[in-house]
Amino acid sequence: MKGILEYSQGETVIHRLNPLSKMVIAFLLCLSSFANNNIYCTIGIIVVNLLMAYLAGIIDRAFSLLITLFKIGIVLFLLQVFFIRTGNTLLNLPFNLYITDTGLKFSIMLVLRLVGATMPLVIILTVTRMSDLTNVMVQKLHIPYKYTFAFITALRFIPIFENEMTGIIEAQTARGVEFDTKNPVKKLKLLLPLCVPLLISSVKRIEGSAISAELRGFNLRRKDSGYKTYRFIGLDYIAMLFSIMILLTCIIIL
Amino acid sequence: MIEFKDFSFKYKTGEKPALTIKNLSIPKGDFVGIIGNSGAGKSTFTYAVNGVIPHHYEGDFYGEVRVNGCDTVESSPTQLALSVGSVFQDIDGQMVSSVVEDEILFGLENFGVPKEEIDQRIKDILKMVGIEDLRYRNINTLSGGQKQKVAISAVVAMMPDILVLDEPTAELDPQSSLQIYNMLKMLNKTLNITIIVVEQKIMLLSEFSKRIIILDSGEIYLEGAPKEVLSDTSRLTDIGVNCPRVAALANNLNQLKIYNGPVPVNVMEAETMVRSVLG
Amino acid sequence: MIKFDNVCFAYDKNNILNNISLSVKKGEFVAIVGRNGAGKTTLMKLLNGLLKPTSGVVTIANLNTSVTRTSELARHVGFLFQNPDRQICRNTVKAEIEFGLKCILTDNADIEKRCRNTIEKFGLLPDKDPFSMSRGERQKVALASVLALSPEILVLDEPTTGLDYKECMHIMETINELNDNGTTVIMVCHDMELVADFAGRIIVVGEGRILDDDVCRSVMSRPEVLKEASLAPPQIVELAIKLGKGFEDVFTLDEMTGIISQRAKREGCIM
Repeated sequence: MKGILEYSQGETVIHRLNPLSKMVIAFLLCLSSFANNNIYCTIGIIVVNLLMAYLAGIIDRAFSLLITLFKIGIVLFLLQVFFIRTGNTLLNLPFNLYITDTGLKFSIMLVLRLVGATMPLVIILTVTRMSDLTNVMVQKLHIPYKYTFAFITALRFIPIFENEMTGIIEAQTARGVEFDTKNPVKKLKLLLPLCVPLLISSVKRIEGSAISAELRGFNLRRKDSGYKTYRFIGLDYIAMLFSIMILLTCIIIL
Repeated sequence: MIEFKDFSFKYKTGEKPALTIKNLSIPKGDFVGIIGNSGAGKSTFTYAVNGVIPHHYEGDFYGEVRVNGCDTVESSPTQLALSVGSVFQDIDGQMVSSVVEDEILFGLENFGVPKEEIDQRIKDILKMVGIEDLRYRNINTLSGGQKQKVAISAVVAMMPDILVLDEPTAELDPQSSLQIYNMLKMLNKTLNITIIVVEQKIMLLSEFSKRIIILDSGEIYLEGAPKEVLSDTSRLTDIGVNCPRVAALANNLNQLKIYNGPVPVNVMEAETMVRSVLG
Repeated sequence: MIKFDNVCFAYDKNNILNNISLSVKKGEFVAIVGRNGAGKTTLMKLLNGLLKPTSGVVTIANLNTSVTRTSELARHVGFLFQNPDRQICRNTVKAEIEFGLKCILTDNADIEKRCRNTIEKFGLLPDKDPFSMSRGERQKVALASVLALSPEILVLDEPTTGLDYKECMHIMETINELNDNGTTVIMVCHDMELVADFAGRIIVVGEGRILDDDVCRSVMSRPEVLKEASLAPPQIVELAIKLGKGFEDVFTLDEMTGIISQRAKREGCIM
């Protein structure tokens, strides 16, 4: 799962799409998985997702994502399936638990929808450079650069802080703090005081980062400063049309 | 050209001035190494040149610092950034993008470099530094040395006259550190960029810089060409600054009255020295 | 004291260390050198169980690290990291040292006593806020809190990064003194001058293998090994190698000065 959102470099069809149309496609696919109520149709969307990942050359990562999502799905499934008590009983279990056909169908749909709706966003973000995404938002959607820069910086700092936190935990374990305990409550208690060093180093880091950006002309930046321009090409229209068709199909099948 | 005149700066939280410089001028094309113990005022020196003081950190600013004739107090840090490029110790913190190309684009875009020039500039700088193959790489996947090269390239792409670096090799291994210094030397030579670098590794400074400034408790303690500064190593050890062993050897031989020539700044020169002593 | 028996370590199917076997006796001062990414840090983390070997056995003070918890190993192994800020998490020096002690010990009187002794020994101000100190001072506090436990083994991961020479020497002299009193010291370090001055033995790591493991002088006199590990020998050693015949055994500045003055006198070229 590590680095799932990390940009995967490439020159594939999917990579070449306009960042904006990529987002639209992801959104449409997401919507499609909620717009229908048919198990096969939702499976179809997952297949489309995998196809997209295949075209983008990140099928390995898509599968690892799929597995992770299904793991989360199983937990959700178990929680749901025993909760819904309407419909015909399919299976009787001890402790007054039983599974009904409505419950089963609902729970399966829930899991499939979760998978179908999460995948497109993750896949698209993996094949889109953050800077392209923010540039296009500034140029086409007229969002102020300040906000997109803050967003991009926050994203960039996540792995850095994660790394810092791992380092802190290692350092504390090495001096005998029992992070290797199996008790999660105890672990959380031990973790809290460590927020102090993390906070202090973060503040220093962010301050340095702000100075560095300022010294490289951040304040001079205008809406049209971006070097790259993002035009829509034929491919974009085809891909978007295709996604709209999927959405329409889903609505009709409903 | 950088000029300090009756300069002194005290941070808002400090009790005494962090740095006081009566008179100092650094001509264009110089390669200045700054060394000293912690609290000696090394970072403050870099901040005085790139305008981080008094614009970012507030405090009592006395005297004047002029960069290419512009008073740093009157110009904004962004204006100064046109002539002064800055590189910091925190390699990850100073980056603004996740891809090498975007990192270099950032400054070029902001300073309004004409769009038709941009691609050529990126190509030129990457080629000069020898990292053409890294152009589309994700910065997270690079080694520390490569990242620092990218950071320097991003700043040099804006074609500053002066490059200020605050301990750029602190997190690097000896080989990467040497590569960074070779890169600085090349930039100094081919583009005539003035280099001001704060560094703890005296051996790198003695070999690469044209001038060494030793700071101690907020003042200039010693200043001059490496050979001058190192000619009496006891002055360095007195304030707890390290000196290259070959310089110490020359000093020892000098005291034994078997050598009184120039101080070697690297092993090659030391070899010449020893051979001359032994005839 | 420390024993690696055919240790391999892999992360995400990448082999980082291959068949490492070594043993360190009580009281040794070992430097581990190599370029960044050679596997030095991995090797260190195997020493206190932060990482467990993929195969092979690491034994520390008769404990197999694969089945012993790191917090248990911490009684025997003190670990000083490159960055003191990852270690310090209390807002006074005294609280910081106590925190470390409380992780391992339970006897309050003993904790109080050790804390007092350590503060005194290091000349620290007990009520000062570590975060207002310089990096060198913070590293000293971090070291003090590790040493308060008087560990049998002290592991140091580039302890002098970011410190000035004065602070660096202060830390190294403290460590050297401990070593003289019998503490086993393992240190990862880039600075070959420092290694030559303090370590008795050097382990050169490259590409996940041990390239060389010998007493300091012998390793330093093999430029081909250092080159393979992308390291340069200390200046004096490099000079001695360049000078060649008659300088084979020269290792320190004093030795170099001595031999040159001797030969100069013999050849009568005193000025």
